[in-house]
Amino acid sequence: MMKDSELEVRKIQQAAAQIRKDSIWMSTRAGCGHLAPALSIAEIVAALYLGVMRHNPQQPNWPDRDRFILSKGHGCLALYSILAQTGYFDRRRLREFCSTYDTPLPGHPERKLPGVEANTGSLGHGIALGMGMALGARLDGRKYRVFVLTGDGELQEGSNWEAAMAVARYGLDNLVVIVDRNQLQLGGFTEEIGRLEPLAAKWAAFGWSTKVVDGHDVVALLATLQGVPPEEGKPTAVIAHTVKGKGLPLAENKVEWHYKVLTREQYEALKDELQLGELLDDCPA
Amino acid sequence: MTARHESTRSAFIDALLQAGSIPNSDIVVVAADSHSRYGDFVKRFPERSFNVGIAEQTMIGVAAGLALIGKTVVTTAYANFLTFRALEQIRVDIAAEKLNVKLVGTDTGFAAAWSGYTHLALEDMAAIRALPHIVIVDPADAREAFEATCAILEYRGPVYLRLRGRQEEPSLPVYAGPFRIGEGKVLMEGRDVLLIACGSAVYESLKAAQLLKETGRTATVVDMATVKPLDVSLLLELASSIPRVVTVENHNITGGLGTAVAELLAEKALGTRLLRLGLRNRFGTAGSEEMLKKEFRLDAEGIATSVKEFLDGGNKDENYYRRRPPGI
Repeated sequence: MMKDSELEVRKIQQAAAQIRKDSIWMSTRAGCGHLAPALSIAEIVAALYLGVMRHNPQQPNWPDRDRFILSKGHGCLALYSILAQTGYFDRRRLREFCSTYDTPLPGHPERKLPGVEANTGSLGHGIALGMGMALGARLDGRKYRVFVLTGDGELQEGSNWEAAMAVARYGLDNLVVIVDRNQLQLGGFTEEIGRLEPLAAKWAAFGWSTKVVDGHDVVALLATLQGVPPEEGKPTAVIAHTVKGKGLPLAENKVEWHYKVLTREQYEALKDELQLGELLDDCPA
Repeated sequence: MTARHESTRSAFIDALLQAGSIPNSDIVVVAADSHSRYGDFVKRFPERSFNVGIAEQTMIGVAAGLALIGKTVVTTAYANFLTFRALEQIRVDIAAEKLNVKLVGTDTGFAAAWSGYTHLALEDMAAIRALPHIVIVDPADAREAFEATCAILEYRGPVYLRLRGRQEEPSLPVYAGPFRIGEGKVLMEGRDVLLIACGSAVYESLKAAQLLKETGRTATVVDMATVKPLDVSLLLELASSIPRVVTVENHNITGGLGTAVAELLAEKALGTRLLRLGLRNRFGTAGSEEMLKKEFRLDAEGIATSVKEFLDGGNKDENYYRRRPPGI
């Protein structure tokens, strides 16, 4: 018999696999979307919603819930999938992704969809937004935590670092930033465009407890994220090494797949291999 | 004209303290090194006062985060740095979600005086006015700044409040009733010209109206403290009986009060003639407030002269429209 912890890991891995299938299905149907940036964060998002965060999909506005801000808003396919999987809304609504006027599932997340905490899409906003929520928790004497997921290329925006300084100055150990370190950005490899390394040392120098994990290793993610804050009085930065496009071999680690989706023909050809559902169904399999 | 002198900044602090002292007040302030602009609020309510350092973008992001969990959030900084440095955060985080955040820009108009064009806020309203949902208030004097602050703290939604420096300013010699968001106030009634002003230009416009009176012209003077949304019904009513309209603002004539009035009058095709007084496609420069107002003809004498020329059919300033950047 499997131990509870093994069951939890298995469940998260299955949710991550479902995120990938949902993301491919939504983006192929819509003919648009940032697919590869969603595939790299599947395990991170699944681990947060199924193994780390305190939240209640039946009460999306529960004041004591942990908050998640997808600062790299273009990764929203993964967020939409996990919100549907955990019951924030009917899975059939995934077909609204970029397909209906004023859709609650646009190309970057907005609060009109239950479960979305902040409008994002312009990079470099999430940490300051999260800081406001984390300060509010302290002010109101609430125990919730705020998890902010940023891209790695996103860290080239200076606003992240001014916010990082301010968060450390206030010692907000209820704030966790996870960096999706997939090494790629829209225009190429991060280290060739706007060098980020030594990235862990930068966060440490800014006064953050810093952890480095394999962002696809659910066991490692849980061990790190369930243990925050590792140091009282310090915010936590988790650098999660990932592969952009993970799970879709033709997209993995490819610059051109930042904003690219499968053609319907490619989808049909990959359907069996990736166990994808019918494109014309009401919702992804 | 003589009246009580007080700064709009101190009036703002008085109102903030009053509102913040109410039991269970949810008012929180966030500064970008600009804690002093909150006066004693920071000392009285340290747990509700945050300072993120010289980082306006973070100030606005943090304010949005606090507003998202239900706080009434007040932010303040030099108007230029607040509006331009953090414009994108204001747009994405605050305006689109109509969050309950008050953006208080200080040192607007010529208040920054000797600091030069980097600090002289003369385009700030244009930036904010381009964004949906944000109310813009430019109070005429300290009394109005106090009442306006009380009103915007009660209002649930984003507001841009224009304050000036710590300098004392003359109070308006007339009181046309309590401040209400979206309502202009008629301070003086006349027949020949309609003067629509905001901010400290209201006081100068009243003085200009007195100068005009000495030359036999009478003016209706309106304090249009809420630049957005405009008091459309008041404007249309007045402009339909006084077809000579002049706007006066300590701001570029592009994007602020003058533009708002021009848009309205043009769309309604009332057949009015309009003169917009303010900076014309220029930045500010270093000088005392008096020097700057004189240079840009925004002191009482300058306004009166411009209005006289306008009523006499001159002052077309066609160069403004013809002026082009070099090489074009």
